[in-house]
Amino acid sequence: MTLSTINIINRDHQIAKLSAIAVALSLIEFFLPSPIPGVKPGIANIIILYTIFKFDLRMGIWVSLIRVFVTGILLGTFLSPTFFLSLSGALFSLFSLIIFRNLNSKYFSIISFSLIASLAHIAGQFIIVRFWIIPHNGIFYLLPIFIISAFIFGLVNALVTSKLLQLNSKK
Amino acid sequence: MRLNNLLIYFLIGFLIGCSDNKLHHGKDYIFGTLIDIKIYGESKVNAEKVSDEIFTEFHRLHKLLHPWEKSLITDINNAISKNKSISINNDEIIKILTDVQRLETQTQNLFNPSIGKLIKLWGFHSNDYNRKTIPNEEIIQKLVSSNPSMQSIIIKNGILKSNNKNVQIDLGGYAKGYALDQAKKILKNNNVKNALINIGGNILAFGKYDERDWVVGIQNPRKPNILATIALKPGWAIGTSGDYQRYIMVDNKRFSHLINPKTGYPERKTQSATILLPPSEDSGTLSDVFSKPLFIISKKNKVNMATLLNINYFLIIMDDDSILLSKSLNKEINWEDDIDKKNITIF
Amino acid sequence: MIKKILQFFKLIKSGDWFIIILFCGLIIFSTKFLWNLPQGEYLEIYKRNEILATYSLNQKITKIINGSKGETKINIDNGKVRFSSAPCAKKYCIHQGWINKANQTIICIPNQISISIVGAKRKYDSINY
Repeated sequence: MTLSTINIINRDHQIAKLSAIAVALSLIEFFLPSPIPGVKPGIANIIILYTIFKFDLRMGIWVSLIRVFVTGILLGTFLSPTFFLSLSGALFSLFSLIIFRNLNSKYFSIISFSLIASLAHIAGQFIIVRFWIIPHNGIFYLLPIFIISAFIFGLVNALVTSKLLQLNSKK
Repeated sequence: MRLNNLLIYFLIGFLIGCSDNKLHHGKDYIFGTLIDIKIYGESKVNAEKVSDEIFTEFHRLHKLLHPWEKSLITDINNAISKNKSISINNDEIIKILTDVQRLETQTQNLFNPSIGKLIKLWGFHSNDYNRKTIPNEEIIQKLVSSNPSMQSIIIKNGILKSNNKNVQIDLGGYAKGYALDQAKKILKNNNVKNALINIGGNILAFGKYDERDWVVGIQNPRKPNILATIALKPGWAIGTSGDYQRYIMVDNKRFSHLINPKTGYPERKTQSATILLPPSEDSGTLSDVFSKPLFIISKKNKVNMATLLNINYFLIIMDDDSILLSKSLNKEINWEDDIDKKNITIF
Repeated sequence: MIKKILQFFKLIKSGDWFIIILFCGLIIFSTKFLWNLPQGEYLEIYKRNEILATYSLNQKITKIINGSKGETKINIDNGKVRFSSAPCAKKYCIHQGWINKANQTIICIPNQISISIVGAKRKYDSINY
């Protein structure tokens, strides 16, 4: 075996491990009560952010998409509206991270990425809700709540992720 | 950095959004109805000053013209019922009464503000219309055959006298429209350019709302929605007589306050009559007054009455939901989606 | 604790502040424009994107609406409205309680029933009656 294949296997292992944690967090979150409908901390995103910063964006994309599909299958929501909500949120936040991947790390820390991704996440979900699940304008009334929660959880997730990265780099 | 530009656009948008305070809104409850004044494009201080001035004027008219609470009109009515003459040193009332006499003749006595007794008999001289029965037939006939008319009122050298004891003046179909014209004068005197005055559904458009005309919705008589919208050009007035605001229900039948002076009974075949009038000194008054004859007169004579009164814009809804619409108004009106166009006949 | 908070603040770089301010602006903007709510007049009941019914808020009635999962009960009480029972699992729609302002909305995704309050003025500046 050449060195590169070992690396690939290693990489796949990492993806599997991180995806498993992300799925576990998603499941925990699913069963936790939330005060307002649609408002969730998105703790699985901590793992995605961690993956991107620890490894690279490609791997983050893998982990994110695996999480969405596996969680959907495990919860029995696969191909249901809930699944597409989750998928759309994930795709939008990944897309936003791809667009902004070149932001200078001298000025922008994980906080910016987390905030951008969480805003993109609710944007993706909101579009699905507005144009598919509840196609009328009344839901714009709920948008400010989603934006505020995206802000708070975006910050908190960034904080936790940076803590995780710190701890792991010390090892 | 591109994001920087974004931020600037964002801030500009935000500031523009915040500064949209050009529309001043005033509300009050006078003439037993809601008064809604919108003034556009004036400073807040000025807009408030002008709308206060208008409200003060309306309160004055309310006290002057009220048909059953003590007012100059009730004083006149008391004198008439006692067969006495009364001296009036109020030019405005004399002018109004003369104007009303002219309008009565012009509408072939269908707008008749001297039938206060009939209106009271039907229970509309109160703030809550809770009469549960139809008035006695004989009393109605007696009042109708006594032929109350504004023409029996004679004003000479400030002395008012009526030949007919049964005349009781009720300016209910005139006061709101007159108030609109008074409001128009106040707006002009204060150099206000753009405003929309709504007195219990009678609306006068003054100028525009920003770049566009003021838009009014026309109430659907039987549903809690509007029927259509229409843009009111500067100076235009819109008035509706409808059976859905003031009415009593007897045995599940609706009896509105719009009483036919010739029968003594409320007209029951019409749901509403809406008219639009072009700018003129008394467009507000006429929008109030002229909707009454159009409401009361029989279906086959409605269009003739509109022609007689020179009304080019009318919309009349009959009790079977059929709609009579003038050709000119047809070009301007925007129907709501749920209106069945099959019911519309254009004249 | 305070030390930790300070530590967190040290993490924030100049560009982050920029994003944070942008975000706060978005929050103010959205609340200002989407929550600028006049008193409601009518209630619209939707099943998915289809209006099932419109009611005046000025009455006291209970309506039962059939959604995709079952019956949703809606109380209208002189100016305000709420869901009083619904076949969904988490009952968010019921917990939302009474609403009374124009544009306010209660949504029950599982049963695909939503209600939305409509103000008096929409396509027009004033109403002729």
